[in-house]
Amino acid sequence: MDNPFEHAPAEAAGGNPFAAGSPALQREPITFSGRGGEYFGIWIVNLVLTLLTLGIYSAWAKVRRLQYFYRHTTLGGAAFDYHGDPRAILKGRVIGFMLLLAYNVSFQFSMIAGIAVAVALAAVMPVLLMRSLRFRARYSSWRGLRFGFDGGTGGAYSVFLKWPIFTVLTLYLLGPMWHQRMKAYQFNHARFGSAQFAIDAPVGAYYRIYGAAIAVVLLGMAAIGALLGSLADGNRAVFGLAPLLFILLLLFVQPYLSARLQNLVWNHMQLDGHRFESSVSARRLYWIMLTNLIGVIGTLGLFMPFAAIRLARYRLQSVTMLCAGPLDDFIAGQAQDAAATGEEAADLFDVDIAL
Amino acid sequence: MSTSPSDPVTAVAALYFDGRSARAHIVTLGVTDGVLHVEGDDVSRSEPLGALRVSEPMGDAARLISFADGAHLEVRDHAALAALLAATGHRDAAVVRWAFEPRMVVIMLSALLLSVWLIMQYGLPWAARITAPLVPDSAMTVLSERTLEWLDQALTRPTALPAARQQALREALSSVASIDGQPIVHTLLFRSGGQLGANAFALPDGTLIVTDELVALAGADAPVLAVLTHELGHVQQRHGVRMLLQGSATALFMAWYLGDISSLLAGAPAALVQAGYSRDMEREADDFAVKLLRARGQSAGLLAGMLEKLAAAHGEGAASRSGPMGWLSSHPDTAERITRLRSTEFAAD
Repeated sequence: MDNPFEHAPAEAAGGNPFAAGSPALQREPITFSGRGGEYFGIWIVNLVLTLLTLGIYSAWAKVRRLQYFYRHTTLGGAAFDYHGDPRAILKGRVIGFMLLLAYNVSFQFSMIAGIAVAVALAAVMPVLLMRSLRFRARYSSWRGLRFGFDGGTGGAYSVFLKWPIFTVLTLYLLGPMWHQRMKAYQFNHARFGSAQFAIDAPVGAYYRIYGAAIAVVLLGMAAIGALLGSLADGNRAVFGLAPLLFILLLLFVQPYLSARLQNLVWNHMQLDGHRFESSVSARRLYWIMLTNLIGVIGTLGLFMPFAAIRLARYRLQSVTMLCAGPLDDFIAGQAQDAAATGEEAADLFDVDIAL
Repeated sequence: MSTSPSDPVTAVAALYFDGRSARAHIVTLGVTDGVLHVEGDDVSRSEPLGALRVSEPMGDAARLISFADGAHLEVRDHAALAALLAATGHRDAAVVRWAFEPRMVVIMLSALLLSVWLIMQYGLPWAARITAPLVPDSAMTVLSERTLEWLDQALTRPTALPAARQQALREALSSVASIDGQPIVHTLLFRSGGQLGANAFALPDGTLIVTDELVALAGADAPVLAVLTHELGHVQQRHGVRMLLQGSATALFMAWYLGDISSLLAGAPAALVQAGYSRDMEREADDFAVKLLRARGQSAGLLAGMLEKLAAAHGEGAASRSGPMGWLSSHPDTAERITRLRSTEFAAD
């Protein structure tokens, strides 16, 4: 459904697609109207100001970048919006930077200091990640209603500490299961207004996707080994190419993984009876990412804003909402009513740590 | 400017959302006497302009006018809204306007290239010089040990130099290695250079490595010592750590700059950045070497002579083949340095 104003600015309520009584499972595609040339301006201003302020402006830059992408994303005639407070993001970045620094420096002093910092990090990270999920949801909106995330601390420790440890201990055999638990934590506790998201993607589906990707990587590694072995002919230097070829191999698999995982997650998502359909084609995504990569390398990075727009457009426009009822029926959640009356002051624990 | 703020302006079409439900109300906006009026679809609302916030323009994207109570308007009728905003005297922040003015975008692009160049040329070396003394000795030891392990595994072989000759060179270096009465902590190691040929390196913790080939090329002890004093200069001024800090900062910047696109790509440039000492560092190390040589009553010519021999041994054109750590590849301006060392500046007193 297009925005009615694009065609007839003053059209009467008769043409209102938001009116009640729409048939069941109406298809509402997500549209994205961002343009590379336009975003380039925002990107370059952000970049220069970030450099000139030694990184401090990056928090404001992030807000403007997200606002550009959110506001150009339209569903049911209305745009998404992002309300994050740059100061909270700056705080998150300072915390993230300090943690990284502490982690990197501590091992230089002594083994014990290093282990102490690593343990402290493991204890703190799940909570920080949970907080940033909450931050990202709370400051995203559509049609004036905020998203929300109510995931608790227990779940965060399970998904961001227990499962990673299991995964490593089982030599990554539990990796896909970890991914499934993470998505379940992320979406089963997510809200839009008062409506609850739910995801029911089965573990087997994650295993199939990762299994195919790993099979390709293993075959590719064997091929690289055979190729280098035949080329080498006693010259060990040829094997220096191996890491580069391995990175190319991972770049080859990445579009497949992200396409299949996006489809899996969104095709198993529910929001109060509404469903979603995602039809990202791995081949198309592969083409977009490959041409983006060539563009970025060929222009020493100046193509990046265009690349980001191309990727976002394809991934977003591949998603359609299958509406079980009128979109007008969503109402705000409890928390939002409280927040809406008071001022939207960022509380002390508002952080946003991007990973 | 024919419209004064008190005139009603052309109605602007918009969607109104009350912040409590997702229902879209189709409305029209107008401004009179500094008050915004919203009329339509079950909505009739007036609000002083001072209590509203307008989102910045972002091309075709809807502009949002937010009320203090959480309600907002979504406007896509850009021309009409622009007229309305102009009439109310609204002006977007400079940073916002820049992004959509081609002239400013070009200026920003030039500013970006200029600032990247300035940072690489002056900013990073300066910051590395300031922070290098703060790097703890233990970190430099770990770093040096790893580098030595890598060298021994990949490039060098055990030395074939007689123990007596090694001992003589060690003692000679110890007697030279002091500045202002303070001895300079160092360890001298000998290796067979393999494909590195005649070469000498300094590791950040004061470990100096000299190849058998270089000792053979020098013939006597004095020229070997001249090269080693130069290497001591790198140690004393923490050049290795400074290059490492600069490399890490560049890698961090690249990771952030390319982070949008692919985190896999971000790691690659780090490897490309590290390319030996800078020209200024070579000069500093030369100056340091000359200072030590003078203190022993020797001339800068010793180092210059040794440089010439090394250049000849490796062949100037083949410099890059000596590898990333090699004497010649990290000393790109050998001819210039030889001239400088032989110039009046350094002529024997």
